[in-house]
Amino acid sequence: MKTTARIVVPIILVLAISLLLQGHNLPGGGFIAGVLTTVAFALIYVAQGLDYLDSGVLGQEVESGAGVFEHRSVTAFRQTFMVGLAVAVASGFAALLFDEPFLTQTFVIVEHLPLYHELEFASALAFDVGVYMVVVGVLLTILSVVGAE
Amino acid sequence: MANDLVVAPMLVVLASIVAMLALRPRPRAQRVASVAGSLAYAVAVGAVAWLIVLSPDAPGAATYQLGGWAAPFGITFVVDALSAFMLTIAAVVGLAAVVFSVVFVDRANQGVFYHLLFHCLLLGVTGAFLTGDLFNLFVWFEVMLMASYVLVAFYGGPQHTAAGFRYLVLNVVGSVLLLLAVGGLYATTGTLNMADMSRRLADPAAYGIDPAPVVGLGALAFATFSLKAGLVPFQFWVPGAYRSAPLPVAATLAGVTKKVGMYAIVRVYFTVFAGATVGISVPGAAGASPLAFLAPALLVMGSASILVGGLGAIACDTLDEMLAYSSIGQVGFIAVPVAIAAAAPPGSLRRLGLVAALVYALHHALAKSLLFFATAAIRSATGTHRLSDLGGLASRAPVLAGCFFVGSLSLVGIPPLTGFFGKFLVFEAAARQFTASSGLAGGAVIAVVLVGAVLTILYTTRAWTRSFWGRRTPAVEGATVRRSQVAVLVGLAALIVCLGIGFDPVFEFATAAAEAALDREGYVELVGPAGGDGA
Repeated sequence: MKTTARIVVPIILVLAISLLLQGHNLPGGGFIAGVLTTVAFALIYVAQGLDYLDSGVLGQEVESGAGVFEHRSVTAFRQTFMVGLAVAVASGFAALLFDEPFLTQTFVIVEHLPLYHELEFASALAFDVGVYMVVVGVLLTILSVVGAE
Repeated sequence: MANDLVVAPMLVVLASIVAMLALRPRPRAQRVASVAGSLAYAVAVGAVAWLIVLSPDAPGAATYQLGGWAAPFGITFVVDALSAFMLTIAAVVGLAAVVFSVVFVDRANQGVFYHLLFHCLLLGVTGAFLTGDLFNLFVWFEVMLMASYVLVAFYGGPQHTAAGFRYLVLNVVGSVLLLLAVGGLYATTGTLNMADMSRRLADPAAYGIDPAPVVGLGALAFATFSLKAGLVPFQFWVPGAYRSAPLPVAATLAGVTKKVGMYAIVRVYFTVFAGATVGISVPGAAGASPLAFLAPALLVMGSASILVGGLGAIACDTLDEMLAYSSIGQVGFIAVPVAIAAAAPPGSLRRLGLVAALVYALHHALAKSLLFFATAAIRSATGTHRLSDLGGLASRAPVLAGCFFVGSLSLVGIPPLTGFFGKFLVFEAAARQFTASSGLAGGAVIAVVLVGAVLTILYTTRAWTRSFWGRRTPAVEGATVRRSQVAVLVGLAALIVCLGIGFDPVFEFATAAAEAALDREGYVELVGPAGGDGA
């Protein structure tokens, strides 16, 4: 189980990030990428236990008696969805600054780059990143808190 | 820029939601921000209502294409008089409820996402009133419901969880029906934009569609809307949910989210479906417009709600249960004039029916939230809201009693309070329908409305004499009334009196709203769904 998780988790995370990046004009997007990322974390929880993220990855002392809300990872998840919501809302507001309707999106294609040749920067990505963070934060908060009970 | 103004209320709520999350570690700042956010919301709604609808040189209505995608493909937000009227109700009740929550709900509980959820509830309500897209309406319903599920189960005790769970299951079933209806309507008409759908249904031959399924699909949507509005036979979730939610939330659920259901019925049937002609006959429905199918169903459900709500309220032991049953009956009073309007031919009676419903909705939102707040104040003063444990409150807390008295009188319909005009217009609509058709049904409607009015007098009198008159009970003797809570009550009571005395602007606004609901062509022209003609 632990070996599988060790191999599969990075693959899932890379796939999630690629879905996030292509989401604005190909299948994918912030929501599905967020769900996939949560799945990767769920796998870690199942394989390594609830305290692993704090004790193994972050190197924190975990008091076994303390509530799950005291875990640093849970605090981080909650901050993630807060920041994500702020990013998503702010990306909508940004359009208003350019005198466009709320949530208007645009894109630029940068050409003649070495190695990549051309790269597309879409403003929708900012919104997608916000959605991604909200989904990851909310699902992982629920997962870790409910999982602890 | 009048155009950006359309989404201003929504942007304000979104900003407050982010602020609520960010300020969570600082409860005091969060409370201040919550009040400031709802105040900003009220200001935004006021600006929308004044600059777009009411002021002399206002355009009367405005649209907004979200993200710059043109109708009918993008999501349209529409502010017309009807939306503005409903938003105003939401803003007044929302502001009062947030201020009252700050002084009523205990501090620790307020920290647990209370204000965040409340603003999410406001967000859903705002979206539902603004949107001009049928699927988007479903989405906003969901936003509103997500927040209200948690708020109903907020206190987390066994009975709260049970009520929350019942509320959740019922509304999930309702949402599925609504989603089916929306999907079916999309399959039938080929569009989700309300204006575009209205245009296509009015001239089905030009677009090669058959409008007959609209009757059945509309009935599915209608069932969901009346579930949200708590009309009989979908009323059974109401008492449990209202009793378990924190009282300021119950006031908002009764005052605002129920009205979203009624608003959706009016908007979808009168603005979208009204132009269609369907060649099928259903027993009991005269005419070929979908409105003719709505009228008898809504009339029966509204009448039954008046009777069930009124009879239920008489038998209650606690104030909050009485108010919950009363709100079933009062929504019936809103539904009956809508049904009269649906049955009437286009013209003044149809408009009068809608005006009566809108004025009644405003009155009910104000009076019911005042009474819920008063109950909350009684509970935090005496620790109980059982009628048998109360008595003699009138001499112990005269100002609180005065506010409750004003709310009760408005509910009964005593001039010059707003409730009088609500009742008066409902009776006028019923009487004019009786003289127009003079059938048995018309007489029955008048009889039901009369019985409903008498029942209202009975249960408000019973609550008043039991809890405010008589000998002081030990609970009342040791009561400490919080001044800050009473201040909110006095504000709302003053508003009810002022709107009743200066009723003319309210009537003008409601008339404009009713005309906006009936002006199907105007709505289509305003949104101007140019694309998709070749379908």
